[in-house]
Amino acid sequence: MSDRYFISDADLRGLAADLLGAGTEVVAPVATDICQSPSAIAATACTLDHSLVDIDYRSLATADDLDLDRGLPQLSLKGYFLPEHEALCRWKQKGTTTEVIEVPTEFAPRVVLAAKPCDSAALEVVDKVMNWDYKDELWNGRREATTIVNLACPVIDDSCFCTAVGSAPDDVKGADGLLTPVAGGYVYEPATDKGRALAATHKARFDADVAADTVGRQADDERAAARERVAGNLEIDAASVRDWIDTHFEDPLLSQLAIRCNGCGACTSVCPTCHCFDIVDEQEGVGRGTRRRCWDTCQAPTFTLHASGHNPRDDQHVRYRQRINHKFAIYPLKFGEVLCTGCGRCTRVCHAGQDLVEILQAIDIAARRPRDDASGPAADEPAEAAS
Amino acid sequence: MNIYQPLLTTVTEVIDETSDTRTLRLQFQDEALRKDFSFKAGQFGEYSVFGAGESTFCIASSPTREGYIECSFKAIGKVTTELREVNIGDTVGFRGPYGNWFPVDDWKGKDVVFVAGGIGLAPVRCVIWNVLDRRDEFGDVTIVYGARSVDDLVYKRELEEWGSRSDVKMVTTVDPGGETPDWTGEVGYVTPVVEKTAPKADNAVAVVCGPPVVVKLTLPVLEKLGFSDDAVFTTLENRMKCGLGKCGRCNIGPVYVCKDGPVFTAAQMKALPAEF
Amino acid sequence: MTDVATAPAYTGVEDMRRIARELLEAGDVRVIIGWEHARRGARPVFVSDPADTDKLIFDTRCVHNLVTYLNPRRDAVAELGKIGLVVKGCDVKAVAGLLREAQLTRDDVVLIGVRCGGVLEENELPAALALTPENVAPRCHGCDNREPTLTDHLVGEPQPEPPRPVMTIDERVAALDAQPLEERWAFWTDQFSKCVRCYACRQVCPLCICERCIVEKTQPQWIESSAHPRGNFSWNITRAIHLAGRCVDCGECERFCPVGIPLSLLNRKLQHIVRDRYDYTVSDDPENAAPIGDYRLDDQQEFIK
Repeated sequence: MSDRYFISDADLRGLAADLLGAGTEVVAPVATDICQSPSAIAATACTLDHSLVDIDYRSLATADDLDLDRGLPQLSLKGYFLPEHEALCRWKQKGTTTEVIEVPTEFAPRVVLAAKPCDSAALEVVDKVMNWDYKDELWNGRREATTIVNLACPVIDDSCFCTAVGSAPDDVKGADGLLTPVAGGYVYEPATDKGRALAATHKARFDADVAADTVGRQADDERAAARERVAGNLEIDAASVRDWIDTHFEDPLLSQLAIRCNGCGACTSVCPTCHCFDIVDEQEGVGRGTRRRCWDTCQAPTFTLHASGHNPRDDQHVRYRQRINHKFAIYPLKFGEVLCTGCGRCTRVCHAGQDLVEILQAIDIAARRPRDDASGPAADEPAEAAS
Repeated sequence: MNIYQPLLTTVTEVIDETSDTRTLRLQFQDEALRKDFSFKAGQFGEYSVFGAGESTFCIASSPTREGYIECSFKAIGKVTTELREVNIGDTVGFRGPYGNWFPVDDWKGKDVVFVAGGIGLAPVRCVIWNVLDRRDEFGDVTIVYGARSVDDLVYKRELEEWGSRSDVKMVTTVDPGGETPDWTGEVGYVTPVVEKTAPKADNAVAVVCGPPVVVKLTLPVLEKLGFSDDAVFTTLENRMKCGLGKCGRCNIGPVYVCKDGPVFTAAQMKALPAEF
Repeated sequence: MTDVATAPAYTGVEDMRRIARELLEAGDVRVIIGWEHARRGARPVFVSDPADTDKLIFDTRCVHNLVTYLNPRRDAVAELGKIGLVVKGCDVKAVAGLLREAQLTRDDVVLIGVRCGGVLEENELPAALALTPENVAPRCHGCDNREPTLTDHLVGEPQPEPPRPVMTIDERVAALDAQPLEERWAFWTDQFSKCVRCYACRQVCPLCICERCIVEKTQPQWIESSAHPRGNFSWNITRAIHLAGRCVDCGECERFCPVGIPLSLLNRKLQHIVRDRYDYTVSDDPENAAPIGDYRLDDQQEFIK
């Protein structure tokens, strides 16, 4: 077995076709005309430039749909492991007899191709809370059933900051292998048994004879360049950011940084690591219904509302603080990982102008300011803001 | 089976404690579970009415009593309003036991003081019975309990039972104006009555639970009496859904009430950020 | 977009900054809410220091309806003190709406109006582009409040009319209306199936001010919270109806929607219905009472059976 393979452009599509042909679900980025809709009305009603595309992770219908242009899907992979709404159990009641009907926790094997490294890394981060003492079988079942192949990212724009939070544009964290574009195709490097099994099962598509000094180096160079590009967007000391947030709960800086926020929750829905959910019962007929979990957001006004009417977080800036706190202090303190992979979606989707790069920079500067008390050693001079 | 799937219990007893507070006694439908189910005083569960949803209450019965669990609640929201309508023989879902517990074993040989207000007696009641069922292991037992009025007192039958025991000092109080003509207990808010009762702090622990204002005002009184913050225990609540640390909503700063709590010492509680 | 010219500088900016500075220095307001330039484009800014009023800008990227910050539930904003708010003609209609519904008194806010010539649809850009039929926000066409009256100050020279977009919202609504019911149903089913129930539309709307939104009520659960088509239809239609006769067409709901549901079509359709049935169009005159909050003896009644 090889550490590296070469797979041509045609063979990569061929791999997708093989998997689909064998009945395996293939999830991958698919580009659609920004105005496209099954309904003719939408197409004629749209006024936007038709060269613009929306990219979404979708179940491929055919291998031709696979988009390899390396743009960022609007929503992360999160929905494939923690669906927007998901049945936890069902019930049937007749008289005083109740029957609870289980939902499956085993899932058909599927493959994700050309995933963004920030999206896969997020899955490994969330694995921690999903296995904190109690093992979430629904999440774990989907994780076990899925083989994820990342496609090295060229860095989307200056809202990306994966390297500032422990990831990278060529990371394989949470994934099973990595594709790096080179002339004529891709270098494939498996990272796990599942990744190796993919190459072994589809031997015909993968060429094990990779010229390390040209093709291999080309891949390495492109990835190093991407890492350098994104590192220029933001550099923070995640540990001191964590400690500052943990010890400055009431600091006005956090309110000031939150002031624009409308509490719309778009950031939490596009975020690959946000996983807060609600559990609701839905009556669906006489004596039957479904208990579901569905995505929720800490930015919603009623997120922490008690039945008594008391709400510990009853204003938007306090809810915003919770988001920053959870991601950059609480989760690292509990699980040793930042609950963020630097994908930048929250910044791009926020139409009120909240900018996580700016916010983290401000906290990093505050964290490195000389301490007030004379007892501690003086910290370094505040760093210049990253360009 | 997944961790969110509830167990089934049957309602075997319904007690209306007050006009808006009810206790349900529940028996697991699975016979093996009836024998094997165990928990520790202070833990909670997610109780549900299918179709209405789940609600979080402590397990109000003592772990020393086998074969059933109990919960007490006020009908205040969607699920509790439905729970108020269930009858003997109906099914109630249950997930649990979740959370941490009162370290009752650490209290052996010590005096134990219980202070509770209103429905806050529910989580304390389980540990009261836990202690009384092992009475010899502990020193003096003092219970100070108060409610807005005589009608609002919960577990009235047990208050009498505890009061009639020679090995328990039972002090019951109602707020000024809440007494009835034949009321023989104290009249006054819980906090000054605790001060008046003046339980000894030496080699003692205290358990406090109730509406936030009761807890907030009682802690300084206990401190004045000489209780250290590590010797005072309380149980916090917060809005919960999963009850097992995944849905991300019950945290107070870095502390998840469903996993790191709900039982906290006063020292731990004071270290929490002002977010509850 | 690279061959579109940058928009000419807006003439009223110096006056805006001067007025803002004077208001702050005199203590007439404690905070000015306007727009500033930031890394990803124009965005709302809160200025409390007179020296910072140079941050204020106005250009074709200033799409945001800042009236959302007057929402009575925003304690953190209220704590900043009396607000001086920069408003376009569409925005200020929302202030009139709040006044009509007694959510605000006129003395609560100082209004700095701008004579606006239209804004970009895609506004998160590092530089302000000149408006063309391809890039202008469709809702700007036919704007009836380019000289807003509900203001304490008004800056900027009268601007040329915004260009006519490739397809106006009214044309899009008409195209939908021309389709048979099944097609329209299919269209909206498809659109609402995208909804993730983030409630961005509600949070940003300056007139969604209910202390407890209908979707947050549990006794009974009027609207299911899960993001399946049944719940989504309920939510989106209910919200649209709650805005009938109140919506000011600022377009923020559609702009904020992370999955691109064309809410402007719903809103505009309801505006047509209110106009046709009640002879009412939302304006920035607070005295012009809305149909939902007012009755007249000669109101149409033939639909009451």
